[in-house]
Amino acid sequence: MSYNLRDAGANLWANANKWQRYLIAGTIIVLAFSLPLLEGTFFNTPSTPFVSVLFYPIGVYVLMALGLNVVVGKSGLLDLGYVAFYAVGAYTAGLLSIHTKLNTWEILPIGIALAMLSGLILGAAVLRLRGDYLAIVTLGFGEIIRITALNSSAVGGANGITNIPNPPTTFGLKFDLEHPRNYYWTILILIIITILVIRSLSIRRPGRAWESIRQDEDVAELMGVNTYKYKLWAFIFGASVGGAAGVLFASKAMFIAPNIFSYNVSILILAFVVFGGMGNIWGVVVGAVLLSYIPEKIRFISEARMLLFGLVLIIMMNLRPDGLLPRKKREKIGVAGGKAK
Amino acid sequence: MSNQPVLELKNLTMQFGGVKALNQVNLQVNKGEICALIGPNGAGKTTVFNVVTGVYTPTQGEILFNGKSLKGKNRHNITKMGIARTFQNVRLFGEMTSLENVITATDVHNKSGLIGSIFTTPRSRREEKAGREKAHEILEFIGIDHRADQLAKNLPYGDQRRLEIARAMGTSPEILLLDEPAAGFNPAEKKALAELILKIRDRGYTVLLIEHDMSLIMGISDRVAVLDFGEKIADDLPSVVQNNPKVIEAYLGVPADAS
Repeated sequence: MSYNLRDAGANLWANANKWQRYLIAGTIIVLAFSLPLLEGTFFNTPSTPFVSVLFYPIGVYVLMALGLNVVVGKSGLLDLGYVAFYAVGAYTAGLLSIHTKLNTWEILPIGIALAMLSGLILGAAVLRLRGDYLAIVTLGFGEIIRITALNSSAVGGANGITNIPNPPTTFGLKFDLEHPRNYYWTILILIIITILVIRSLSIRRPGRAWESIRQDEDVAELMGVNTYKYKLWAFIFGASVGGAAGVLFASKAMFIAPNIFSYNVSILILAFVVFGGMGNIWGVVVGAVLLSYIPEKIRFISEARMLLFGLVLIIMMNLRPDGLLPRKKREKIGVAGGKAK
Repeated sequence: MSNQPVLELKNLTMQFGGVKALNQVNLQVNKGEICALIGPNGAGKTTVFNVVTGVYTPTQGEILFNGKSLKGKNRHNITKMGIARTFQNVRLFGEMTSLENVITATDVHNKSGLIGSIFTTPRSRREEKAGREKAHEILEFIGIDHRADQLAKNLPYGDQRRLEIARAMGTSPEILLLDEPAAGFNPAEKKALAELILKIRDRGYTVLLIEHDMSLIMGISDRVAVLDFGEKIADDLPSVVQNNPKVIEAYLGVPADAS
């Protein structure tokens, strides 16, 4: 392919000075915040209001894809149970908002912390496994969380939790069914923070450690990388992002049930990461946006839409096996502080 | 050259099932020397490296590094203590640039981790900068700084081998274990490599070297140890080892009329 979007974008960024970079980033952020203006245009989705679609599935899935990308794309740990952390976040929001007086913003850090804790527990137990074995065990973990929720009456069993309160009015912004835009803006802020954090991790020691682990774990260990510790951190970081997505989802949806957190979600998020380009933040964002938007857009063909969705995946992976925007293969200075020397 | 031992193997035995890859091997590498480890294929040379760097746990015996036992130490901790190695078949991080390969190794002594990187603490900033400078300095020393920003997998073969040495030096080791650094080199490259190894020694590193090229070994080593079927059969000055009948026998076999 002669024109390469990834390289064009990366070159634009690499050749820009500090102020131009602020300008580019600012433009992208402003554009992202003004997406709700597209309501009522060609982009409209048939059965759900467009702005709602921007929050869920698009926003929630982009956030989760970013988190999973650190685990799968950057560190090369195939996690098929990522939905578990999403569920932990959502159930934390559901239970705490029903049983305590905490509001969504106060629950958010608690949900993140609990998701991180479950990431730590799962990671500590399974990260000595590699490759296929890791995939199988994480798949099992995802199911354990769902089945536990299904069978414990304390968390509502199969009926789940209903009447989860919406977030309180904040800075004059109302969070209810009439104002889906505010949810979208909230998750957009979380997405931007996540991207900034992943970026600063990627160009520094943790990024190099993850990268070396993905490429050759044994050699990384022999070059002094504490591989177990950094794999655990990747897991915990991914879990925290999944937990945050879960809390927000629960407070918008007002209702959660175990069947929402089936392993399909893990696979779907993984598909976003692979489709977009493993390890590349922008690839993953674009992949998640496209793949969560398209099924909503073509909802009019009802059940056949998943068939079409699968077809898009197959064609795409044949044409671009490394994803839409693959990780950098170009030779560039991948260290903090811009140009070296 | 002092006789202060940096690395000591004491009665080291490494058994894989019924095979004794190493059998009661004693070896001492002194500070500041270039010690060569030679022997026919399958003699157990790379096994020595693997046991010393913690890849395998020895069946018997112990390894002392500066007098301290390495028993039960993690591989990354052994590296942190000051033992670094290269690999017989090049194992670089291909999708990283040469510079990143070396910086990854320099990270071993850094203190800032995930939290420091997220919040860009002054220490993280300082360590990142120091790592980058050190990596450039090492690449310059090895003579491949012009390759700093190229992906390791795109480097010419010879530079990949040199980058392996650079990456090992990135961990600031006391002793460098070089596993056949001249494999696949032409005579001119071998000569340059020999000079490089001498330069590395003069910089204060101790070198334990596995190599098959005898002229290279005899030219630069202070001492040569010979392994054959997991046993050490000679350990002396290069000129003495060269004429040792047991060594000649190990390499060339016994003459037909002698048996």
